[in-house]
Amino acid sequence: MNGRADLRLVSPRAVLEQVAHAIPKDCRANIIIIGSLAVGYHFFGNDPSLRVHTKDIDCLLSPRIRALPTGKAVTERLFGEQWTYRVSEEWPSPGHAGTPNDKLPAVRLNPPGSTEWFVELLTVPESSADRKQQFSRLETTAGHFVLPSFGFLSIPEYHPIPTDFGIFIARPEMMALAHLLEHPVIGAQTMSTEIAGLNLKRSNKDLGRVLAIARLSDGPSIENWPILWMEVLQNKFGDEWRSLALKAGAGMRQLLAPENEPDFLEVRHSCEYGLLVSQPPTLDQLRATAERLFQDAIEPFEKLAR
Amino acid sequence: MQLSFKSGNIKVVILSAANEKMVADTGYRPDGQWHDVWVEVKFETHGIRNLRASLLGLAYWLTNNPTSRGLLVLVDSRITEDRLHHEWKLAQQTLHPEILERMAVAFAKKKHYVGLPRDLGDDFRVWLDQLVLKESREGKPRESFYAILEVLLHQWLLGKGPMTSEWIMKTVGCSYPTVAASLRRLESTLLRHSDRRVELRYFPKDEWARLLAVSDEVRSTTRFADRSGQPRSVDSLLNRLKRLGRSDIAVGGVIGARHYQPALDLVGTPRLDLSLHSRGKNVDWNFVKQLDPALQETKRRDEPAPLVIHLVRRVRTLFEPGEDRLPWADPVECLLDLHEGRLESQALEFVRSFRTAKRQTS
Repeated sequence: MNGRADLRLVSPRAVLEQVAHAIPKDCRANIIIIGSLAVGYHFFGNDPSLRVHTKDIDCLLSPRIRALPTGKAVTERLFGEQWTYRVSEEWPSPGHAGTPNDKLPAVRLNPPGSTEWFVELLTVPESSADRKQQFSRLETTAGHFVLPSFGFLSIPEYHPIPTDFGIFIARPEMMALAHLLEHPVIGAQTMSTEIAGLNLKRSNKDLGRVLAIARLSDGPSIENWPILWMEVLQNKFGDEWRSLALKAGAGMRQLLAPENEPDFLEVRHSCEYGLLVSQPPTLDQLRATAERLFQDAIEPFEKLAR
Repeated sequence: MQLSFKSGNIKVVILSAANEKMVADTGYRPDGQWHDVWVEVKFETHGIRNLRASLLGLAYWLTNNPTSRGLLVLVDSRITEDRLHHEWKLAQQTLHPEILERMAVAFAKKKHYVGLPRDLGDDFRVWLDQLVLKESREGKPRESFYAILEVLLHQWLLGKGPMTSEWIMKTVGCSYPTVAASLRRLESTLLRHSDRRVELRYFPKDEWARLLAVSDEVRSTTRFADRSGQPRSVDSLLNRLKRLGRSDIAVGGVIGARHYQPALDLVGTPRLDLSLHSRGKNVDWNFVKQLDPALQETKRRDEPAPLVIHLVRRVRTLFEPGEDRLPWADPVECLLDLHEGRLESQALEFVRSFRTAKRQTS
């Protein structure tokens, strides 16, 4: 993988349409796009002049029980449509029957004639209690791969939004919650790819996406998030929802602490070269967005859980 | 208000963020700044306790401003030089010598100063005279007078008829001599009844114009700007205010004016004007953060301010009950808000829309 690869500016609608058309019709209902492309499509999918910086289009296969057959069908169809395996140093080629699971790559495919972006197949965890990274072997005629699942990927699966192209996108507020829960602290792990010259911490990039979603959403809709968040956590995690809700704001709180200014600078960088590329906020503006997020969503959510 | 020196005139000082924080933390701010000298003026300080408080406040300030000096000016104080000398020695035992070296105390009586640092020169003297005058009662707008004027105008606009001096005293929260002196000043515009009740004969244009000139100071008008780059709508702020359920905050400005006169020619709502009833010296601004954490006080008049708050100091608010537990500011507050928002023609139309004013102008 090229660690210096820059993110590409793409039209969310055009890319989503291209991905959807390449996927077998009977599999489209099992595909939920998550990540920046989904957010971009949700907020400015109808404006062709607005683009997002992205390189990976994350396709969540859902429900879990359909993940392997859907993953197989999608992978084989894409290869059949001249999509190509995305080669990286670590993962030079698909595996085969003799390759152990931990040496198998994920399905990462470039569209025909382009290496600017790629789709990656993921799935939801088998059990909500299972938060560790899991890899399910995916056997296809094009080789053997794994379908990764981890953490809180079951949250974006909740009530996804249908698109004009038959596939779904995750709800922005669900992606925001998944990121918040994924990062109760600012972790040390960095991204595998630089964003506009900087190698950001993963937590900073993901929490930055939460703030980007908050900036793109309008105030009244954010005030509805606590109820929606409570619903999804109750649905997916049962009695554990309260303890999860009370942890949801921890990472963001840490980010706002004055001593973590360097991390907040990374957050702004991720917004500036990501979803907010058309109107990059200043540091102070982004802090104000975070403070509003606490007031409108995180604190009321914590209140519901107490 | 913070004052500083510029080309021989007093001007408003914009504090640095660090000093703003200090003001918020300690509640202390000097009265003026002349180059690197911060000055506090205290009138009729006779007690040692007040002197100590001022010295300590100034010392805190200088700790935060390591290249500045501080001067405490005691105007018409009965503290003797010997007593001051004694206090100064006590301060030397307590305060850091480096801070104390940058501090000085001077006495002032009838424009005669004792103890001014010599190097400050004549220009400083001229500036200090202006500062002392500005900080003196003579230099400050007569708040009680304008409060009485507003009450008289309120009763006149709403056609409430004449009132007694006692009613004015209780409404404003001032003494009989203050009411009597204010009514004498308004004599030409007053109608005095045989039972000693009074009311306005007509709209007191001259005094109103004087009030407009000082209304920001009289009402302690405070503006809040958006720092998110995505200002919340007036409706959003209003909805959040409703949820707070505060009876001491009333809606004025364009929205309030529309409440009293729905036919008023006012398109759009450029900002939210609120009247906050606050009799105390310290105002609790925490509710602003509850309306929107992205709001921040601004001193710049040219910066858009989605929220503007005016203090109502009188005892009786004259707020009118509204729906959703949200009171309306009285029409005089709304009128002042329209002027403050430079909606002059709408302000005129607003006054004329009241029946009493119509009678006068017809």
